[in-house]
Amino acid sequence: MPPSIHPVDLIAALRQKHLTPVIVFLTSRRACDEAMESFDHADIVLPPVRQDAIAAALERVIAQYPSIAEHPLIPTVRRIGVAAHHAGHLPSWKIAVEELMRQGCLDAVFATTTLAAGVDFPARTVVITQSSIRKSRDFTDLTIGEVQQIAGRAGRRGKDQVGFAVVTPSPYIDLGVLTKGFTGHPEAIDSQFTISYPMVLNLLKAHPHEQIQAILAKSFAQFQLNQRAELLERKLDALHIQMEPFGPRVCTDWITQWQTFDQARRQKPSRHQIRRHESPEVSARFHFLTPGRVVGLTRGRGIVLRQYRSKGQKSPMVTVLRPNGAVTECPAPSVSEVFDRVFDCEEAPVYPWCTTETFDELSHQLAELPTRVPVLPILVSKDSEPLPDAIVQSLGDFPCPTCPSRPACQKDFETASRLRQEQQRHTKSIQALRTSLWHRFQERVEVLQKFGYLTSHAQLTSEGEWARLIRIDHSLLITELIRAEAFSGADPSVLTGIMASIAHDDDRPGAFPRISSGLSSLLGQVRKLGESLSPYEDPPLLRADVAALAERWIADPALTWIGLCRLTTMAEGDIYRLLARTLEFLSQIHTLKATHPGLADSASQAIALIRRGVLEELP
Amino acid sequence: MTTDELEKLLAQQPVAVLHRLARGRVQRHFRAGKRRLIELILQHSSQNRAGLESDLQALVGERQSRAQQPISPAQTTRRPAAALPKRMPSRGGEPESSEPAVSLAAWFEGIGVPPPQPFVPDPWQEEALAALSDTDVVVSVPTGSGKTYVAVEAACRAMEDNRSVIYTSPLKALSNTKYTEFSRIFGADKVGILTGDRQENGQAPLLIMTTEILRNLLYDAASGEIDVRLDTLGLVILDESQYIADPERGVVWEETIIFSPSQAKLLLLSASIGNPQDIADWLTSIRPTACRLVRHSKRTVPLRAGYLHPNGKLTPLFKTLGIPYGHAGQLHPEAKRLFFEYEEETLPSGRPRR
Ligand SMILES: Nc1ncnc2c1ncn2[C@@H]1O[C@H](COP(=O)(O)OP(=O)(O)O)[C@@H](O)[C@H]1O
Repeated sequence: MPPSIHPVDLIAALRQKHLTPVIVFLTSRRACDEAMESFDHADIVLPPVRQDAIAAALERVIAQYPSIAEHPLIPTVRRIGVAAHHAGHLPSWKIAVEELMRQGCLDAVFATTTLAAGVDFPARTVVITQSSIRKSRDFTDLTIGEVQQIAGRAGRRGKDQVGFAVVTPSPYIDLGVLTKGFTGHPEAIDSQFTISYPMVLNLLKAHPHEQIQAILAKSFAQFQLNQRAELLERKLDALHIQMEPFGPRVCTDWITQWQTFDQARRQKPSRHQIRRHESPEVSARFHFLTPGRVVGLTRGRGIVLRQYRSKGQKSPMVTVLRPNGAVTECPAPSVSEVFDRVFDCEEAPVYPWCTTETFDELSHQLAELPTRVPVLPILVSKDSEPLPDAIVQSLGDFPCPTCPSRPACQKDFETASRLRQEQQRHTKSIQALRTSLWHRFQERVEVLQKFGYLTSHAQLTSEGEWARLIRIDHSLLITELIRAEAFSGADPSVLTGIMASIAHDDDRPGAFPRISSGLSSLLGQVRKLGESLSPYEDPPLLRADVAALAERWIADPALTWIGLCRLTTMAEGDIYRLLARTLEFLSQIHTLKATHPGLADSASQAIALIRRGVLEELP
Repeated sequence: MTTDELEKLLAQQPVAVLHRLARGRVQRHFRAGKRRLIELILQHSSQNRAGLESDLQALVGERQSRAQQPISPAQTTRRPAAALPKRMPSRGGEPESSEPAVSLAAWFEGIGVPPPQPFVPDPWQEEALAALSDTDVVVSVPTGSGKTYVAVEAACRAMEDNRSVIYTSPLKALSNTKYTEFSRIFGADKVGILTGDRQENGQAPLLIMTTEILRNLLYDAASGEIDVRLDTLGLVILDESQYIADPERGVVWEETIIFSPSQAKLLLLSASIGNPQDIADWLTSIRPTACRLVRHSKRTVPLRAGYLHPNGKLTPLFKTLGIPYGHAGQLHPEAKRLFFEYEEETLPSGRPRR
């Protein structure tokens, strides 16, 4: 079986089931063109009445747009009633197809999904052959919104009682994406606010610097950032409540105090000799941690079975019997309380370090222990240990070891510090959400100051005054080129070539070998400048073939549209779009007539020269 | 599994399975041939072999379990819920409805042209128009519902009131279509167009332009240039305003809305989006009056989805007659069977089919 249904079979099947007119969405322009070619020898021709109706309708459109009179697709359109409609076509062709569709002349249009959003012609049926679309350079899955936008073309109000969306598989299809798209709720949309140089200049032209933050705050971007900030603020409120038990103790900021103390304490063993760094308190306590002693640990209580010093570090250790009968080895500092209660303990030289009877007895005693047992007061003698080295000295600076709230601090520290970190993180995020637009604005201001478009007080310089009128992509490159007088003496065709290469952002390959030496060397300069501005603005593609093509159109007024198309591998629609966009860029240059009369004049000559043939015919 | 074993196992899989593995792992995977595809999958998963192996095993297991039980049309195949859950046409945990699947004949029922009916505005259209006399309005309805009627009628009312109207669309092609359409409705002298490369009848009471052009007019006005067109402006219609989420151009919609004169009403027309209330709340927060949201998600012309097999066999895509909103898993058993067959049969050439 072929990987996908043959276009002729598809249309025949849909016709037979009365599912026409149909829009068939295909993955690429090429797929659309190939689908059209496959009808060349097809015998599913329309009855003569319908062929005549198409011919008559085409006649009317051609009267308005002569450029499509010779369009190679016309014979197939007339014979079979199918057409292709994609970005590679001239707008006039697309208008013709839309018009034919509106008049009900066509049975099928092969189109690319890219255009689904932009055109306004519905049908009874849409056929979907793909689940992903090309976006910039990569293919991404269709979103729910996009699937519904495509399916939305099915079912014309007033002409259809029902609309049909038919999926037919191709090797690229993921049925799950489509079923989710049909049945799902469209995605929420997010602001894509960016701050461009012309935006900064125009804002500062109209408003004093100190008002800008309030203006940026009116953006949908800030609205959505605020929503996120409010969410965090609610979390922050909850954290405040959770933090209540951990308010000020003996020290106001006991969490930091304990943290520093704890860190210092932990660093000791690795760097210093044993015993030296034992806190006086631990040393003092160690004497009391004798077999039979009831002690408190971070988790519950226990009875000491033996005391010893660890082999390597010689740190003070105890073996403790826990309530569940477990025997654990604990460092002495982890003993949080020493209680005033000792049971008889018959020691033994091996694990569990006491006789079996004692073990059973102690286990029983431990289980029966009343909840409140008095704590043994232990006096820490300050001079019991000399404290010569730095760490121990700094440890001595901590009030913690002797502080009455120490056990509480030790117990709560982990929770409290986690909560506090979360608080700090949220506070920082909220701050960032509230101010990020303003910071981005300020960054742009700094760049514009550096280049001399703004004064140090963020007012427009004379350069800024005209530069704010260039409100297109790559504005910094364009205004810098103008300041560098790159175009002085350049004739309209070279100016057009450069503008075309800046305006064109498509990387579809095209070929056009010949370029004038003037344009070529200027393009080299533009590339260099673009490169040097790249920390501040992404450089455009600056394709030489595109520049050359636009240059030729201006330089050779005798060149026809067909002639131009033959010079390149670019599709007609792409050439048209290139020139139309170049026209837009040139008309921005034209607005500089007050400050740059020569340049503006060159631009207006270029504009007049671009507008001929197809470019003039068009609406 | 050693790399060799893994590679061998991958090589044994039909390309369809490889593509499913490649999703989310390899960019533009369907451009690659089988050999290259395996290479890319392995390359990408060098950091996360375990993930690849478990996904692969789940897919293999699924194929085996399906191949073992002969599939009868009435039987629904359950897939292991853990395997690539979000990509599966059938959601693991979803209860299958016990209702019988719709027949093809029923699916076709009603196809054709409805009897002509007098034009009566829909309630949502009336609601939007009524609200517009007091405040800004955001409309979010499915494609094909009739947003143009709201635009035309609103423009008409504003012009009767001697106020001018600006209508913007994201694309020049759309602007041109609307220019033709509006000229027909209102008369050529009442309508003008301004795009990046075209200016006609620039002082007409109803001006059509691309959103960028309006943004530029607003910037010029803000910096003190006098523009009568903005002084008498009563209504700004932003068509296809879901473009506010366009990565490159979305910002222009925000600038336009922020700087639109407060005396003019805003009418935002948008296809169905997930959060139209956010847009309305945003407008309320920055505009003089509380914005009204008019939304609905029901299509005016009911939609049915079908599945057409490459051999020409057509079947409903879902078990239900209409679209089972919120239940992506309710596939029609016949469509499911055929699509599974399709995935099985798009085996790499030269390998014997199972
Ligand atoms: N209230 C209505 N009753 C009948 N048909 C309508 C009504 N409103 C609009 N239409 C028709 O619905 C079709 C789609 O309208 P359109 O405005 O193009 O949809 P949208 O812009 O929402 O995608 C048009 O042919 C229009 O004439």
